[in-house]
Amino acid sequence: MSKGGKRLKLTIVGGFLGSGKTTWLRHQLHEGRFADAHVLVNEAAGTPVDHSLLGLANDLTVLSGGCACCDGKGALEAALLTICDARSKTGDPARELTEIVLETSGLADPAAIAELVQSHPVLIRHILVSDVIVVVDALYGLAALKTEPLARAQISAADGLVITKSDEADPRNVAYLRAVLAYLAPAVAQSGASFGADIDLPEAIQVPLDLPAFAGATTGAIRVCSLELGNTPDWTVLTLWLSSLLHARGDQIVRVKGVVTSAAGDLLVQAVRTTVQSPEKLPYRPGSALQNELILIGTGVNCDEIQKSYERFLSLG
Amino acid sequence: MCNACGFPAAPGHWTEAGADTAHDRLRERHRRVAMLNALLKPQGVSVHDGGNVPGFLVTGPGGASTIVGNLEELWIEVERLTGRIFDPLSP
Repeated sequence: MSKGGKRLKLTIVGGFLGSGKTTWLRHQLHEGRFADAHVLVNEAAGTPVDHSLLGLANDLTVLSGGCACCDGKGALEAALLTICDARSKTGDPARELTEIVLETSGLADPAAIAELVQSHPVLIRHILVSDVIVVVDALYGLAALKTEPLARAQISAADGLVITKSDEADPRNVAYLRAVLAYLAPAVAQSGASFGADIDLPEAIQVPLDLPAFAGATTGAIRVCSLELGNTPDWTVLTLWLSSLLHARGDQIVRVKGVVTSAAGDLLVQAVRTTVQSPEKLPYRPGSALQNELILIGTGVNCDEIQKSYERFLSLG
Repeated sequence: MCNACGFPAAPGHWTEAGADTAHDRLRERHRRVAMLNALLKPQGVSVHDGGNVPGFLVTGPGGASTIVGNLEELWIEVERLTGRIFDPLSP
């Protein structure tokens, strides 16, 4: 454990091949965001290129020749362990590394990487997955979403979506893309970027979406359910209920998110598919959004059933 | 982590984040077990938590017992002991 006692924050930057991850990250570094972070770049190809574009990074490690969520898993694990080890040896809490940014390869599923960190007995003590930012290309992103299950998996794992190249695309296409993204990842903030700089996006349009279902995928529409927990939620009931729900219906639940007041303070509870991240304690912020409300996003789930089932558990307490 | 048994492997399961003090933790463990017993009685499963060692003991309908570390492992074990998934949406 580090002297400062806090875990490293890991931001995962994902997105399909050629969606503009490196460009976006380069601009963020230029603007001073992630200034103190250690940047990890993963590339599926054997000869890395991206790292030469990220000259402004404080510290940079390149993992090439394999995607970090599959065959390059070992290399990512080793790189993260090296960073944690070096940090523990810093000695001075003020100079300690606080942040890691991982730019994944275009073929990576960010959820798999988050799970790697969560399930590793050493990394879980050192690293907190704080943010998953997924970059979507306004020109070709939609085509990928129609044909590639991986592109959809990336979207559903996102905490924040960045739409790139929207200034070069037809505004109507961008509006349609926004609607598709809102359907695949409801309640996730979307922002626009051109060469990394923030730009405004056209509003999403309400039209019927034309998204083919993939073979083997759970059928049914993606639904967003909001579960009211009341002013003083029962943590014991909530954990019993949510853990059993994720065990039984893990293939249907895509995302869980909410802030829950407990005896230990306000906790940010979030899950990507069946992996629940260790809840982060939030500073006191009265009246904030999502307070004691749990958002569940899933395919073919019935919000009524979910509410009733939670109430049944509540009656046990 | 206990270096004799390697338990717990991770710092607190997410389900245990709701209690900070020893008092809250113990209270939470006793409540959890009471609720689990009420919930799983129809399946013939009982749960016991002594409160002084990590994890809790799950006993199946046939009497077979296993120690599980957390709720996530518990549901896997319940499925194994009873032969069916405990589904909160269709009990």
